[in-house]
Parts: sequence; C-alpha cells; structure tokens
Amino acid sequence: MKKVVACYKWVIDEADIRVEEKDHSLNFERAKYKISEYDRNAIEAGALLNEEKGCEFLAVTCGPNVEASLKDVLSRGPASISYVNEEWLADVDSSVTSKILAGIIKKIGNVDLVICGEGSSDDYSQQVGPRLAALLGYASVTFVNKLDITEEGIKVERKLEDGVEVLEVKGPAVVTVLPDINKPRIPSLKQILAAKKKPTEKISLKEIGFDINASQPKLKTLSISGTVMERKNMQINTDGLSIKDAALKLVKQLNADGSLA
Amino acid sequence: MTKFWIISDVAETSYELLGKARELLGDQEGIITVYLIGNETTGQEAIGYGADLVKLMELPPDTTWEQYAPVLVQEAQASQPEMILVGATRRGKDLAAQLAALLDSPCVTECKSIEYDDGKVILKRIIYGGLAEKIIECCQFPVIATVASRTFEKWTAKDASREGTIEKLDLPAGVNVQVVERRSKPQEVVNIKDASIVVGVGRGFSEQDELKMAEELAKVLGGEVACSRPIAEDLHWLPEDRYIGISGQIIKPNVYIAAGISGQVQHVYGIRDAKTIIAIDKNENAPIFQVADYYIVGDLKEVLPALTEAVKEVKAANKG
Ligand SMILES: Cc1cc2nc3c(=O)[nH]c(=O)nc-3n(C[C@H](O)[C@H](O)[C@H](O)COP(=O)(O)OP(=O)(O)OC[C@H]3O[C@@H](n4cnc5c(N)ncnc54)[C@H](O)[C@@H]3O)c2cc1C
Ligand SMILES: Nc1ncnc2c1ncn2[C@@H]1O[C@H](COP(=O)(O)O)[C@@H](O)[C@H]1O
Repeated sequence: MKKVVACYKWVIDEADIRVEEKDHSLNFERAKYKISEYDRNAIEAGALLNEEKGCEFLAVTCGPNVEASLKDVLSRGPASISYVNEEWLADVDSSVTSKILAGIIKKIGNVDLVICGEGSSDDYSQQVGPRLAALLGYASVTFVNKLDITEEGIKVERKLEDGVEVLEVKGPAVVTVLPDINKPRIPSLKQILAAKKKPTEKISLKEIGFDINASQPKLKTLSISGTVMERKNMQINTDGLSIKDAALKLVKQLNADGSLA
Repeated sequence: MTKFWIISDVAETSYELLGKARELLGDQEGIITVYLIGNETTGQEAIGYGADLVKLMELPPDTTWEQYAPVLVQEAQASQPEMILVGATRRGKDLAAQLAALLDSPCVTECKSIEYDDGKVILKRIIYGGLAEKIIECCQFPVIATVASRTFEKWTAKDASREGTIEKLDLPAGVNVQVVERRSKPQEVVNIKDASIVVGVGRGFSEQDELKMAEELAKVLGGEVACSRPIAEDLHWLPEDRYIGISGQIIKPNVYIAAGISGQVQHVYGIRDAKTIIAIDKNENAPIFQVADYYIVGDLKEVLPALTEAVKEVKAANKG
C-alpha cells in the first residue's frame, strides 16, 4: 500500500487583514486563521488517493498555533496528523520550514508521495515543495493538475507557461498541486464526527534531530508595509436611480474624464 | 572576484537579469555566467548583453529541465557564485528552490527589487496575496533570487562585439522523471496587457453563455475581456493568459470594469495601476467597491447590457 502525505500550512486569512491608512501598517486584530487556500486541494488530492486507490493518507504541518487546525483538517480525509507546534516558527523562511517538514516525513518513514499546494496563501514563495524534494532526495514535480499513482510511481500532468508536460516518475516524489486539480470537499457531519476520533502526533524538534542553532532563518524581515489605493469610491446608482439611468450617468462620466477615447 | 550567475529557461529574461547583474556589479571586477536554454546565437546575444561566460542548456526531450539541479550544484560548489538570479517561470522557481535546498542557501521568490547595502543584500517582494510589500535582508551567500520577466531592464551598454565564452552544459544520466508527452499551448493572439479598456469577468457569471454580455460591452468600448483566476482555471471559460492578478497578468489599462468579481487581494493586485476602476456587483458589501472609482450595485445581467447601450448612445452623440 502506498503512503501519501499532504503538507498544509495554517495561515492568517489575508482577507481579514486591514491596512492602516496613516502608516500602512497591517492590522491583524480581526484576523482568523485558515488552511492555506491551495493546501485544501493538496489534502483533497490525498483523500482521493485514499478513497480511490487505497493509499494510506496522512497530513503534516508545522507552525505556531497549528493545534487549532487539527480537527478541521482531519475531517477532510487524513487518517492522522503529525505536527510541530512552536512559537518561534511565526517568522521563519522556507529553508527552516522545509527542513522541519522533511524531518517529520522521514520520521513517518516510507512515504511514497508528498503533496503540497502550489504556494502558500501568505508567503506564496512556492519553495517548500521543491525544497522538500531536494532534502528528501525525491523527484520534484511542481504545478500539477492531474495526478495518478501506480505501482511503479506516479503519472502527472503539469501546467507550465508554454504548455503541458505529461510525466512519469519512478520512485518517491513531491508534487505541488494547482487549484484546478480537484474541488476540495465540504466535510459532512459524519466526517466531522469521525475526525474527533482520529489520532494526532505532536513531534518535538529534538525527535527529528532539528538543531535550532544550526538552522536559523537565512532571511530577515526588515519591514512589512501594506499597499493602499487612492480611489474615488463613488456609487453611481444612489437615490433610487434606475440601472439604465445609472449606466448612462457612468458612461457620461467616463466620457467627461476622457476615458472613452 | 565577484561572481554572478543567471539561470533562465527563457533567453529574453536572462538578458534582463544581465542588466540587473551588470548594475549590481558596477565597477567591481566580476564574472557573470549565464545558464540558458538556447544555441550559439542566443549565447552570443547574452554576451552582448553583458555575459562573460554562457553555458547552453537544452529543454531535454525525455526529462524535465529541472533535472539540471544536481549539475548546477556541482558547478556552484566549484565556482562559488555570490548571487544567483533565476528567471521566475514555473520551471525556474522549481529549479531555484531545489538549488537553494541543496546548497543550503536563502532564496527569495519573485523579487521586485534587489540592492546592495553595506555588504548585505536587500530584496523586496509581495506577500499576503498582494496586500503588502516585505523588505528582506540577507547576508548569507550565495543569495538565490527568482525574478519575473520584465522586472528589470536590459543592459543599456549592449555591445554585440563583446567577447565571451560559450560552452555546453550536459545533463546527468539516469534520471527518474520521464517525459511522456509535451503539448504546447496555442499562443493567444491578443495581449490583454496592451488593451486600454479591459472588462473583467468573475464567478458572478453563472453560465458561460452570459460572457456574451461582457464581450458585447468590450466590443463597443474597443476593449478586451479578461477574468478572475477561477473563471480560467476552474471553469475554463477563458484561456489562462486572460486571468488577472498576483499569479496571472498585471494590467495597466485606462479603464478596468470588474463584473461579478468580489475583489479579493490576489485579483486586485493585478489592477492596481489601472487609471480608472469600475465595479459591478450585486453584493453592496463586495470588497471590490473599496478599490473602485465608480460602482454600480446591481445584477450584472441587467447592468452590462445597460452599459453597452449607454456607450453606444454616448459614442453616437460624440460623433454627431
Ligand atoms: C495564492 C493565491 C493566488 C491567487 N491568485 C489569483 C489571481 O492571480 N487572480 C485572481 O483573480 N484570483 C486569484 N486567487 C483567488 C482569489 O483569492 C479569489 O478566490 C478569486 O479572485 C475570486 O474570484 P471571483 O471574484 O471571480 O469569485 P467570487 O469571489 O466568488 O466573487 C463573485 C462575485 O460575484 C458577485 N455576484 C454573484 N452573482 C452576481 C450577479 N448576478 N451580478 C453581479 N454580481 C454577482 C458576488 O456578490 C461576488 O462578489 C488566488 C488565491 C490564492 C490563494
Ligand atoms: N508551515 C508549513 N507546514 C506545512 N506545510 C507547509 C508549510 N509551509 C508551506 N507548506 C507547504 O508548502 C507549500 C508551498 O508553500 P510556500 O513555499 O510557502 O509557498 C504549501 O502550499 C504547503 O503545502
């Protein structure tokens, strides 16, 4: 039986972040966490390989506060989750993240296929997948929108700027998946209840032989500044103006602005 | 001696990266090596644009380009480059990240700027889907950075008679990734980046047939139809070269009209520099209104045809 692992990141929902107009700082007061958008597709891909091909399917994650994610993720298909939960992971770079994930995956052992999202919703560095492949000595196949697993390995289609590459990979691989590979499920009540009984494993850095001093982030954040746009924000159809009249008013306005030429 | 590397599967991007590398090098003595897919002619062109040494790669017929990673690692260990700039195509980003892991190096994806400051490298990139810009410091070498095409300018001191060396770079044998087939994508004839008026369609359209309303409006305005990512990637209603946003096209039209697009940051990033933004959405709280100059709250099925008629009317009046 093939063993499949999905990597997901627990991120701040960027739609909840507000940019302060006065100094362009970011306000996280209302921010909630979510499963990084495209990691839902990675989890779904693993769940489908479990349901359709009988693969064993697990999930892994690392970060600060990841314990809050476990129930939600378990209801989406994995049999268990192995995770590292550490405060200092709040501002680390892809080199640190990939080393920790590689450590967890090695500890799980005999993993045939690792599935990542195309990029994380917050950083969107698109690095962790291929870095993991390099660290594990697995083949790296990115931007995949069709995935099948066979006895020998995997068969995939990847979407690139100039077209599609259909590939066969022998041996273990890390793939990163595009959002169009599948439609992530909305967990049913049964799946949500079943999730409560599934095991999770909290792993310490020591257990995976991760040395904090030897593996500090290589990049330092100097500043983060939000972008604000100055726009007119003018609603055209106010005061009961009909759509037809509003349309005409808008087009006349554009004409006056010289935008129709 | 400072050594710079440039790696790109698209030759044109390597010329732009050469421009940046030449600028960063300034009067310092240095050697710039370019790894690119191409032939002698492309290699000579790269030398004209500032390369000292060119190593020609191929798009291997039977495996992926990223299989060059272990070869490049050996080369990097031997020549110790200080900075490696990689063209940020999908292949380029994959290769760069593998290289970074194998060399245990920092890597910054899709940089918007790269400068030296007192021996450190300062890089800028976009995070949170386009909501914010992050300034990053890096003082560990080699620094690997990927850069999208058209981010930097080619070297202005281009000299076709510059001299340099061109070599071939061999792939390792016995790889475990096999190409079964490559299907090239039909090239789109229109470039939405050049259109002065763009009508963007989103998931507010419930059927593909409804796109006709957007096409009609674009037609009377002399513009083009573009879309949000799900319209291209999930629904396949429009080609992928037409989706706008952080992972798609960045456009700077005179007028952008968003219809049935909620206005998530990732989409809005692609229209930041539009001169005028117009939004149509039936949800009065749609975030797109916060980034619009003018907006109409309403059903696009009603608003789009009304706009088309209004444009016809106003244009006719302009003529007459
Ligand atoms: C890493 C990452 C990168 C991404 N990159 C991009 C990118 O480059 N480009 C991009 O576009 N997206 C991108 N996305 C996706 C993005 O987050 C949004 O999911 C997407 O932009 C939403 O598309 P939409 O506005 O068409 O759909 P929705 O968010 O579903 O919005 C549809 C809107 O239509 C309105 N509507 C419905 N019916 C009607 C009607 N009859 N009349 C008028 N209005 C109606 C609704 O009120 C709603 O506001 C990215 C996401 C991630 C995580
Ligand atoms: N902290 C993390 N924990 C688990 N998986 C992660 C983490 N960070 C990134 N990933 C995975 O790597 C992919 C790419 O992330 P990134 O390189 O940050 O764009 C994500 O879609 C996840 O699948």
